[in-house]
Amino acid sequence: MPVAIETKGLTKDYRSPVKEPGLWGGVKSLFDRKWKDTRAVDGVTFSIEEGELVGFLGANGAGKTTTLKMLSGLLTPTSGEATALGFTPWERRPDFQRSISLVMGQRSQLWWEIPAYETFKLNQAIYGLSEADFRRHLDELVELLELGEHLSVPVKKLSLGQRMRCELAAALLHRPRLLLLDEPTIGLDVVMQKNVREFIKAYNKRSGSTIMLTSHNMTDVVELCRRVIVIEKGRLLYDGALDRLVERYAGHKIMRARFTADVDAADLKSLGTVVKYEDRTATLEVPRERMAASAAALLRTYPVADLNVEEVAIDDIVRRLFTHE
Amino acid sequence: MRAALSKYWRIWLRTASMAMQAQLTYRLGSFGFLLGKMMRLMFFFAFMAAVFNHVETVAGYNLVETALFFMTYNLVDMTAQILFRGVYGARRTVSEGDFDFYLVQPCSPLFRMTCSSVDFLDIITIIPVIVMTGMTFARLPPIGWEGYAAYALLMANGVALIFAIHVLVAALAVRTQELESAIWIYRDVMFMGKFPVDVYAPAVRWALTLGIPIAVMTTFPAKALLGRLSFGWIAYAFALTAVALPLSYWFWRDSVARYTSSSS
Amino acid sequence: MRTYWVAYQIALQETLQRRSTLLMDRVGGFAIVVSLYSFWTALIGDKATFLGYTREEMLTYVLALNVLRSFVFTGRGWQLVGEISSGKISSYLVRPLSYHGYALALDLAQKTVHVCASFIEVGLLALLVRGGLFLPSDPATWLLFGAAVLMSSLLFFFLEFMISSLAFWTSESGGPLFCFELFLQFAAGAFFPLDVLPEGLRRALEATPFPYMIYFPVRVFLEKVPTSEALSLLGREAMWLAAVYLCAMAVWRRGVRSYAAEGG
Repeated sequence: MPVAIETKGLTKDYRSPVKEPGLWGGVKSLFDRKWKDTRAVDGVTFSIEEGELVGFLGANGAGKTTTLKMLSGLLTPTSGEATALGFTPWERRPDFQRSISLVMGQRSQLWWEIPAYETFKLNQAIYGLSEADFRRHLDELVELLELGEHLSVPVKKLSLGQRMRCELAAALLHRPRLLLLDEPTIGLDVVMQKNVREFIKAYNKRSGSTIMLTSHNMTDVVELCRRVIVIEKGRLLYDGALDRLVERYAGHKIMRARFTADVDAADLKSLGTVVKYEDRTATLEVPRERMAASAAALLRTYPVADLNVEEVAIDDIVRRLFTHE
Repeated sequence: MRAALSKYWRIWLRTASMAMQAQLTYRLGSFGFLLGKMMRLMFFFAFMAAVFNHVETVAGYNLVETALFFMTYNLVDMTAQILFRGVYGARRTVSEGDFDFYLVQPCSPLFRMTCSSVDFLDIITIIPVIVMTGMTFARLPPIGWEGYAAYALLMANGVALIFAIHVLVAALAVRTQELESAIWIYRDVMFMGKFPVDVYAPAVRWALTLGIPIAVMTTFPAKALLGRLSFGWIAYAFALTAVALPLSYWFWRDSVARYTSSSS
Repeated sequence: MRTYWVAYQIALQETLQRRSTLLMDRVGGFAIVVSLYSFWTALIGDKATFLGYTREEMLTYVLALNVLRSFVFTGRGWQLVGEISSGKISSYLVRPLSYHGYALALDLAQKTVHVCASFIEVGLLALLVRGGLFLPSDPATWLLFGAAVLMSSLLFFFLEFMISSLAFWTSESGGPLFCFELFLQFAAGAFFPLDVLPEGLRRALEATPFPYMIYFPVRVFLEKVPTSEALSLLGREAMWLAAVYLCAMAVWRRGVRSYAAEGG
């Protein structure tokens, strides 16, 4: 398989002026400004093969988005190298730009007051698509994303989920060979998240394009990616199969129970690891395979008022990974 | 080359039509702005006409000549607004992330930013200005084709200079993600171009010719048409643009390379 | 009363903190004053007077314009439009506070800063240009001027408020507001003394409240209006103010009611 993305020691510093207080400080900084560097991405090296669907994980501010922005050519790195589809992204060659797309869950390229179809037509002009290609690609996307009548409604009148699907269509009209997705499911309800995920999976399979995706949502990653790359504080922590990551670091779920009467915390140990017990509320870590049995046992044995089961937050897994290393 | 031109022309047309559709969703608002713009034009014209009821000349120019200066100012200024209005929203374009998309797509981000909000009201307003300029021309003594050629070329030169200023403002927005009001200073200072530069005190006149070259943009074309601009100054006007354009473009490139993208 | 005093102080600090915006505002306004002054100087040329204004009086008119723009033409209309369309207005309506009083306090803070800045600019200009300022010696003139300016300022405030209240019914009240402000600047005499206009047009304008905002106070200051006439004009201004105030409040009440009915 040919390589789609390759980075070597990719590093990005953000430089920001140090603000001095007061009027005099303001005047002084006009002439003699002091700068502070913050390292957002620190020597990241990895390579991705064509057709792969890779999850990119990390806590807030870990440098995921910055890396994606460098790979799409939006930002110029401070040092290090990267090639994507054989190009240096930040040279922004038109041939490169015609082969990629960047989707940001919190940003929109659609024009707010008018129907999404207009933005599609604009993208047709920008990417130089022939009328026939435009029609063909659009029809396919309309079907896959079930856009139908949404195309002719002003974007501001669409729901968040409908808008996100239009956003994806706008980004895919030119059939990019490399797709960079930054939090594509953020803010969507559970059903919508599922739809978007299924679409991404189908698109990857159908077009064979390379996809790199960041998400806070563990389900996104679990359902879509066989391989994940984890970064923390700008450094690469883990690069490998997702199975091994979740097995190693999130082999359990979190069970939270509130009781109507006091319970001896020591007795709960048989159900899982007690992380916390206070105010008649217990938090336990329960291995995945024992979850159902433990919950049943808990309900049977104790006066339970409320019971809650959650996945471990992705930030937690990453933090664990960080402390274990 | 031709393919690129036709591509950019298509993108411009699309953006203009989209901006118009977006604007038409605000009919009352648009009508208010249109009326306001027309009123400003009419009032100023009425004012000039009223002034010449009381005097023969202002700074050595008669009514028709003063009107020529005023119309030229409007033509240059409105052409620039039609073409470069997008820069007025440069800071918002950057802070709301639209600029991220401009950078990723195969089309010059500077072009996208500049033409991102073509205002069709500007296009409507420029029609009476063109008609009035024609009427002013008709009242001037006969002028040779060289005069008209110099006029047209210097106007184009003025628009190019204004473009350089807009590039500078856009670059500042990309670089610092603030400084929204920079463009409004330009708008206010541009107000001085409504009168021929000769009405100003020498110091101000020099500042407007050499410093912030408002005079070169607005007064020079009309002066050349009236045959009152020496060849040296014409050469200076073109030389200024020849220097300003590459400089501002260089500053833009440098700012884009330092672009940090606002965090989402 | 204390609440408004606190609002005033906070707004004052905020205005001072946004130094770059303040600076840009002032530079822009200053450019307009310089160009108007230059134009009038060119008009007067070597003559002793123009339209009955001596050079000294003309300079004073332009400089007074700068101060009055800062004192009269600083309303809160755009803020109101913004707060209505964003729905933020609701948070004021539920509080035991008069929105008008609150907006007036904020406005006063803005006026304080801008008037101080305009005094500095006026001082600078008066030093730089020849001609000197006209300062009335009769204390009665100052008193009349003060009363006129105070009412002008309130007149503008409530007129602008009335137009901005349209935002309760439509999301596009920006257009009418823009239109109104442009018209106002001309009709109030903020670009040129209304004497320059043909008799008929001037009389028509004098039947509206607009000339009371700039033209009338400045003429009082220049002692161009006999005291008895000034007093009767002040009376008429007071009537306009009362009428505008009542209308603005009525529109406001209806607006709030329809806003509440729609649930914001």
